[in-house]
Amino acid sequence: MDARFTELLTPFLKFLGEQEITPDTSLRELGLDSMQAIELLFAIEDAFGVTLPDDDMNDDTFATAGSLWTVVRAALDARYAADEAQVTAA
Amino acid sequence: MSAPTFAPARPAPAAGPLTAAGLADRVARVAAVAAEHLERTDRDASFPLEALEEMRRSGLLGLLVPESHGGLGGSTDDVVTAGIALGRADMSVAMIFVMHCQQVAAVVRYGNQRLRDELLPEIAGGRMYLASVTTEAGKGGHLLSSESALAAREGELLLDRFAPIVTGGEYADGFLVTMQSPPPSSPNQVSLVYAHRDQLTVERSGDWQPLGMRASHSVALRLTGTVPAHQVVGEHGAFRTIVTTVFGPMAHLGWSACWLGTAAGALSRVVKLLRSPQSRGRVDLDSELLLTRLSRARQRIDTVHALLDRARQVVATADDLSVPRVQLLLNALKITAADECYRAVDDLVDAAGMRHGYLKDSPTRLEHSLRDLRSAALNYSNDRLHLVDGKLALLDAEVRLA
Repeated sequence: MDARFTELLTPFLKFLGEQEITPDTSLRELGLDSMQAIELLFAIEDAFGVTLPDDDMNDDTFATAGSLWTVVRAALDARYAADEAQVTAA
Repeated sequence: MSAPTFAPARPAPAAGPLTAAGLADRVARVAAVAAEHLERTDRDASFPLEALEEMRRSGLLGLLVPESHGGLGGSTDDVVTAGIALGRADMSVAMIFVMHCQQVAAVVRYGNQRLRDELLPEIAGGRMYLASVTTEAGKGGHLLSSESALAAREGELLLDRFAPIVTGGEYADGFLVTMQSPPPSSPNQVSLVYAHRDQLTVERSGDWQPLGMRASHSVALRLTGTVPAHQVVGEHGAFRTIVTTVFGPMAHLGWSACWLGTAAGALSRVVKLLRSPQSRGRVDLDSELLLTRLSRARQRIDTVHALLDRARQVVATADDLSVPRVQLLLNALKITAADECYRAVDDLVDAAGMRHGYLKDSPTRLEHSLRDLRSAALNYSNDRLHLVDGKLALLDAEVRLA
């Protein structure tokens, strides 16, 4: 997981304490609730310049740091592919 | 408890798959007993013990228990059907029943084999009525957190839990209790634990004197005791999953069914009064005000019915109940049913006027229904749900409809 990503997650996890964020870190158990999901999405969009698909807005995506990172990573890959396609076309 | 004498003896229900008629017959028996006692249970704010006894005897407490464990093998649809029918007679009895079914559904789906084998035959045999302990002082009805920590010690779990509102808690044979998972780390890590009444010291505090839902006898309880480790339902910390897949959908479908039944029963009694021979010539059935009010009440009831039916289908068929569009639909059902069922009866109070709309002794029982339905918006607060729905709406920019 990207260091920017774990840094961005930290303020949402008020019960994290001294623990390190790993892919298995449970977001819900450490304090993320449904009322904050939209703020977390904004933070991800601002940091990585990607929009996560509506289809991924489910409990599985927000279960762990790893599951959310998988979705962010897929959005990043899709953006890079689109950028490359544009460069090639130009 | 001694055997009640108010209902005729009937043969034990025949084995075999549950039919619509078999369900309707059982529900009608409970509704008849509820109707017989509702004036007293409402007046005295006392638990409907006779109706519970008929739920035990008819096998209805085991509606959701699979046939392999001796139950009726019914479905969520059957709970909805029963909730509507019981709600027509008495909303307190209906709510007691659907909330018991919600607990049973959690045990059926998430209980480990040992717990299922211990509990389900008892429920099916009518020996176990389950109450839900999810409320907690200071958390404002927030279901997914708990400040009361469960302690684990050599294969045992130690409970010490105060709950301000436990429907039927004084009469329950067992409880499903939410507590913070051991070892305590975060109030968002919540486990659901089963505790049998004789495993607990149950202390009641305070009185139960509400506006409506008086027969639901929802008292404050402190539960302390020790249970074996296998009595955790699902894994430790799994309560959130249980809420998304079972507790939430069952609550909103079940409650809405009860409220719909109560509003439909009220409209039915008003229409029957209007059509009765003694009303002939005394009521102007061409009154535009009366006709409009009846129309509005009926419209509200049909709206809730349509939404309930749609939500029921979606819950039965959706792959993932956690997505915003499904959560929004379920919350919309709860909010709409709570508001519209109350308003339907409020319309009927205006339609029927002072004598039959407002007085306790009218056969329309609008006064009782209105008091009961006033609780609907507060029971898992509509205000709180609107805030959640606002956030969920922001997550679904395409506005895809479930």
